[in-house]
Amino acid sequence: MTTPQYSPPAAPEAIPDNPPRVKPIVALGGMYRLLLRQQLTKGRVLLALVMGALGILVCTIIARESEIVDVVPVVEFLSVFALGLAIPILSLVLASSSLGHLVEDETLVYLWLRPAPRWILALSAYLASLTVALPSTVVPFSIAAWVGLEGDTSGTLALAYATALAVVAYCGIFVFIGLILRRSLIWGLLYVFIWEFFVARAGQGAARLSINTYPSSLLSRLTEVELPLAERSMTAAITVPPVVAVIAVGLTAWQLNRANVA
Amino acid sequence: MTSTAPPPSTPPSPTPPPPPVWPPANSSVVARHLSKSFGALTAVSDISFAIQPGVTALLGPNGAGKSTLIRLICGLTAPTAGSIEVAGGNPRIDAVARGRIGLVPQQDGVFEREQALDVVALAAVLSGMDNPTKRAREALEIVELDPDIARPLGTFSKGMRQRVKIAQAIIHEPTVLMLDEPLNGLDPRQRRQMTELFAQLGTGNRTVLVSSHVLEEVERFGSDVLVIAHGRMAAQGDFRAIRDLMDDQPMQIRVKCERAREVAGRLVSGGVVKGIEITGDAELEVITTDARRFRLEIGSICQKLNSRITEIKPLDDDLESVFRYLVGKGP
Repeated sequence: MTTPQYSPPAAPEAIPDNPPRVKPIVALGGMYRLLLRQQLTKGRVLLALVMGALGILVCTIIARESEIVDVVPVVEFLSVFALGLAIPILSLVLASSSLGHLVEDETLVYLWLRPAPRWILALSAYLASLTVALPSTVVPFSIAAWVGLEGDTSGTLALAYATALAVVAYCGIFVFIGLILRRSLIWGLLYVFIWEFFVARAGQGAARLSINTYPSSLLSRLTEVELPLAERSMTAAITVPPVVAVIAVGLTAWQLNRANVA
Repeated sequence: MTSTAPPPSTPPSPTPPPPPVWPPANSSVVARHLSKSFGALTAVSDISFAIQPGVTALLGPNGAGKSTLIRLICGLTAPTAGSIEVAGGNPRIDAVARGRIGLVPQQDGVFEREQALDVVALAAVLSGMDNPTKRAREALEIVELDPDIARPLGTFSKGMRQRVKIAQAIIHEPTVLMLDEPLNGLDPRQRRQMTELFAQLGTGNRTVLVSSHVLEEVERFGSDVLVIAHGRMAAQGDFRAIRDLMDDQPMQIRVKCERAREVAGRLVSGGVVKGIEITGDAELEVITTDARRFRLEIGSICQKLNSRITEIKPLDDDLESVFRYLVGKGP
């Protein structure tokens, strides 16, 4: 290492009226790349691989047990395992850490204090978690569907669409939860198991307030397999998850504006 | 017809002095009745101050509210009452004001998996700077870190992390630089170098607020201090001027002069000193509550006695003594 010349930045003579303003797209790109790199840990990749492999394994077993291609058990299994369990949990692990980890290790200040609108930080965190969560769920569960349905393209695509919709909504919710709650993993798991699994299955009224019912309804309508409490219309199934995501990102930006940053 | 008597002429009165302008026009940080409570705990209580360009040391014992005050100034937390203005705006809601702040936070947290150059370059990108990588290299060189270290920050020593934090804080040439215990983890040579850097950054029109518990080093930053104790403002200004104003705290002064014993006798009989000790043939130490009068008297006495003065040195107007007096731990 060479000894540098001692030359601190020059002090401004007067406070400039217009200090440099960062362009939103530039700030978005910078924050997104950083948060994306933070997302990719060995543990999270391993969890995604295990979940995906498990889905593929079970679908393979289901396909081998039946002499004819039976859509129902494969779709029912993927509805429960992929849409009801693996996707919310994977989304939770990835998205809740996106900002939650910055809060815990007190690095949020390095992004928060920069002169960029807070919605950019919220959107960056959401996009970063989505970038990891989408391929790590859509790819393995589509393979699982393709194996289970013995190459049925329409069924495989139906599962892929439903998975993508679920991830879009869950990531938004869990980025927000990660920001506002300490121990967000525990709270998120309680939400998944108690609300999505238990309360939302108690009846149609509660089901409307769960995320799972919308991708399940889409899967049900596209595959024509009846699934429990999957009775939302096609329009609702397609539009509600992205709307939930937009609201969640907006809430995250709002919370960032009023947060106490360490 | 009634005649109206002319109004009695009022005697001319001296023009009253204009009220002091507060905050001064060149203030870059202005706090007005600032308070911050966390539940029942009041961390900062009704503090008002204005900080002008230059280096100001923020002092206070542990738990006095220094870090909370820095967080309030940066907008990282909202005040319970009062207001804060930095470079003309409220950094909590004003992105332009935020862009004028550089912060070295107290906590050690850094992006553990990132490399130093990437983190500092990102700070430049997010501040709207051109050539972020080039600027990041320059900033890292200023803090004596090799920009080409290809290791994640998680493997850095505390001192190296601290220097990365300083580099990201100065890269966008902030108008207001806030440094919360910036010398933590640095070795003596780096401390000296950073101290010089902070002093140099405080020249021109930049405001540097440094919180540190190492008073000896704070003294090298400059003489302006802002002292808080128990969440309240204890003093602000040049610490030597503050010491002079502390009439309730006797001042210790060492005098080296010829005929010390006779000089001591005259000082005692003149009632200028509260105590005196002859510490050598030509040296004495006095305790006085009126330093200004003492300086006048000693000159007069020595002149009369034809005694040559070689030194008059206050022994407790250093920052540490002033700090102790202010926070109630005086000797």
